[in-house]
Amino acid sequence: MPFDALTDASDDALLIAFGNGDAAAARLLTERLTPRIYGYAARLLGDRAEAEDVVQEAMLRLWRMAPDWRQGEAQVSTWLYRVVTNLCTDRLRRKRGLALDAVPEPEDGQPGAEARMQEAARAAALDGALQDLPDRQRQAVVLRHIEGLTNPEIAQIMEIGVEAVESLTARGKRALAAGLAGRREELGYSDD
Amino acid sequence: MTDKRHLDDTELDGLFTAARHRTPAPSPDLIARIIAQAEAVAAPAVPTPTRPGVIARLLDAIGGWPAAAGLATATVAGLAIGLGSPDTLDTLSGGYLATAGNSYQLEDLLPSFGDLMEEG
Repeated sequence: MPFDALTDASDDALLIAFGNGDAAAARLLTERLTPRIYGYAARLLGDRAEAEDVVQEAMLRLWRMAPDWRQGEAQVSTWLYRVVTNLCTDRLRRKRGLALDAVPEPEDGQPGAEARMQEAARAAALDGALQDLPDRQRQAVVLRHIEGLTNPEIAQIMEIGVEAVESLTARGKRALAAGLAGRREELGYSDD
Repeated sequence: MTDKRHLDDTELDGLFTAARHRTPAPSPDLIARIIAQAEAVAAPAVPTPTRPGVIARLLDAIGGWPAAAGLATATVAGLAIGLGSPDTLDTLSGGYLATAGNSYQLEDLLPSFGDLMEEG
């Protein structure tokens, strides 16, 4: 398949192309999917080195099952999120109480220094509070409110019903709202 | 009136937005490792050269199956002759082979050798 055609192809089509021996398809899939699952894994685990391990393992599983992938049966990203979720859960069960490491580097094109610092403070506070949530609540909240997935997608990833997803996100958000209320001023919210 | 015990939805959304903007990015090294893994998985398995067995190497040494057939024939013939009685051999050789007390001299076998010795 020509490279231009590949860039417009769906994840599904790229995975099938890779399964048929097209190495360029793997490159595009990696560049497309890795940032998403890496950010997700880093938030679930609170540790970047562990997130790298998990992402590498998840992608390896994707490459190995590519020849058996059936088009239209599932979304590649949903499948990957599910694998990452399970790998992270396993790791968290083995090793608990990790703090999220350094705040990510600021991106280019952001507003002024003060706003950047406030954004960094907010992101760090949220990441810290997320680590205090039970695993399933954290997964649901991150998938819904940071990864921007729909409840039916999250239900597939977490292998639960949509109502259970709604319940987990609602409880997670409530816990975050309560846990961070004392830091309102620090987060740049006026206390009137 | 703000509920002091909870952030409201707008405030919480502000935190989610900040988190989205500051999502950790994978390192180029991780991306390279994943692509290398994909290439390794996609590469067809290299067939491992099989070392010929002892019999195959012996056959090669003597010239293959036709030579082995000739060798087998000769072996069987040799065995048959060896197992056959000396009488049969005597018959075949016309009684020329030496037996105890009845041996032939060199001149019997090479008459011209005797003449040569006499002439000096």
